[in-house]
Amino acid sequence: MSDDILSIIEKVCTRVAAGDFENRVPKLGDDPQAEATRQAINRVLDVTDAFVRESGAALTAAADGRFHRQFLPRGMRGAYAHSAVTINRAADAMRVKVEEIEHAKAARFDLAGELESAVQSVSEQLATAATEMGATANGLSQFARDAVADAERGLGSVGALRDSSDQIRKAVSLITQIASQTRLLALNATIEAARAGEAGRGFSVVANEVKTLATETASSSESITNQVSTVQDSAKGAIRVLESVTESIRQMSELVDGIASAVDGNREPGQPGLSQLAEVLRAEVTRFVAKVRAD
Amino acid sequence: MRAARIQPTGVERSFEDHEIIVTKTDLKGIITYANDVFLRLSAFGEEEVIGKPHNIIRHPDMPRAVFKLLWDTLGQGEEIFAYVVNMAGDGAAYWVLAHVTPSRDASGRVIGYHSSRRRPDRPAVDAVKRLYARLREEERRNDLNASWQLLQDELAGRGQTYEEFVWDLTLGATR
Ligand SMILES: Cc1cc2nc3c(=O)[nH]c(=O)nc-3n(C[C@H](O)[C@H](O)[C@H](O)COP(=O)(O)O)c2cc1C
Repeated sequence: MSDDILSIIEKVCTRVAAGDFENRVPKLGDDPQAEATRQAINRVLDVTDAFVRESGAALTAAADGRFHRQFLPRGMRGAYAHSAVTINRAADAMRVKVEEIEHAKAARFDLAGELESAVQSVSEQLATAATEMGATANGLSQFARDAVADAERGLGSVGALRDSSDQIRKAVSLITQIASQTRLLALNATIEAARAGEAGRGFSVVANEVKTLATETASSSESITNQVSTVQDSAKGAIRVLESVTESIRQMSELVDGIASAVDGNREPGQPGLSQLAEVLRAEVTRFVAKVRAD
Repeated sequence: MRAARIQPTGVERSFEDHEIIVTKTDLKGIITYANDVFLRLSAFGEEEVIGKPHNIIRHPDMPRAVFKLLWDTLGQGEEIFAYVVNMAGDGAAYWVLAHVTPSRDASGRVIGYHSSRRRPDRPAVDAVKRLYARLREEERRNDLNASWQLLQDELAGRGQTYEEFVWDLTLGATR
């Protein structure tokens, strides 16, 4: 082969070696061996050119997620075909990984969505419950205050009853005293009437009547005294019961106040109530879910 | 131009699985290089094709809409795979699965185009033939716009881009 031809081939090969695949060996005259050599070199360049274009494009496509675009091994032979298959296998492994990631992402999204709606409904229910509990606690407090006031009024009434019973007892003992003196007087009058004989007969009848009246008065007084004692005992019992009821209501009232402050949380600074806690929880979860979705 | 004088003979020829048909063109589609497989299939001598527009092997069955897509895609600096039927200098036809790509210089500027073609599979060719026949019919009756619209509608109906359509056929046929 002439030096001219070799020099042409050298130039082409040097350019292609530098990565410029636009070069091919041009027609080298009529020598069949020169033509065969030219075709052989150009075939090497054609297949290498195709391989470079294909491998780059196939991997770019895989990186873009266009996994349908493969490196078709047809037209390639030996190591070229083998590498094409290797590249396709790598792209396929990428596809599997991407699908796994997408899958995991979708699962994470679903979980985040479920968490969000669960927390949403919990916090809504919590807020509703808190509102209701707050209202109930307020109602109970008012009820307890009314009940204590009623019981105190009851205590007053029973106290007044005890006082009037005492006065009745005093009045009755006075009456008893008067009755016994009256009986004594009637007795004396009877004696004096007997001594007066016929003239005192009428008076004796009156004196007897008075004595009988005095005796009846005395026995009535005793029965009144007994009844007053019973009333007083009952009043004492009623006072004890009322006092213990009042005490119980006071304690209940404190418990209710505790519930109200747990719900409202506005009694002590830095201690949020149930409704605020539910709102904080919801906001935190919303932030978390938004972050999961953004990743 | 010679293509205008040649009539399709109905003869169809093919090439080997391990072969690729290669041509390079300048930015206008003027052939600057053709390999030996191209010359064999197209029944042209080298001196007959170098410096000629690539439509020298254009087959009348090829819809214009497909070439519009080819040039639009290349114009965006992207590669395209397309099923193409060509007509040789002796009137014979040969189907190829063409991969056409821009060639760039070291600075990334597009300086020409390159096409490597592989032997297509029969089922893919049959499917493409049906689509192309309808596009040609539309071009005969109306114009390029109408056939372009038909191509878009056809692909939209399949929920595919042309690229996806081609890959579906290609992988479906070889799988
Ligand atoms: C690199 C490259 C290769 C091409 N290969 C072919 C081909 O094999 N067959 C073909 O008909 N057109 C091919 N074309 C498209 C032609 O340039 C042309 O657009 C087409 O033949 C339609 O020609 P027309 O517009 O004159 O009808 C190729 C274009 C480029 C850039």
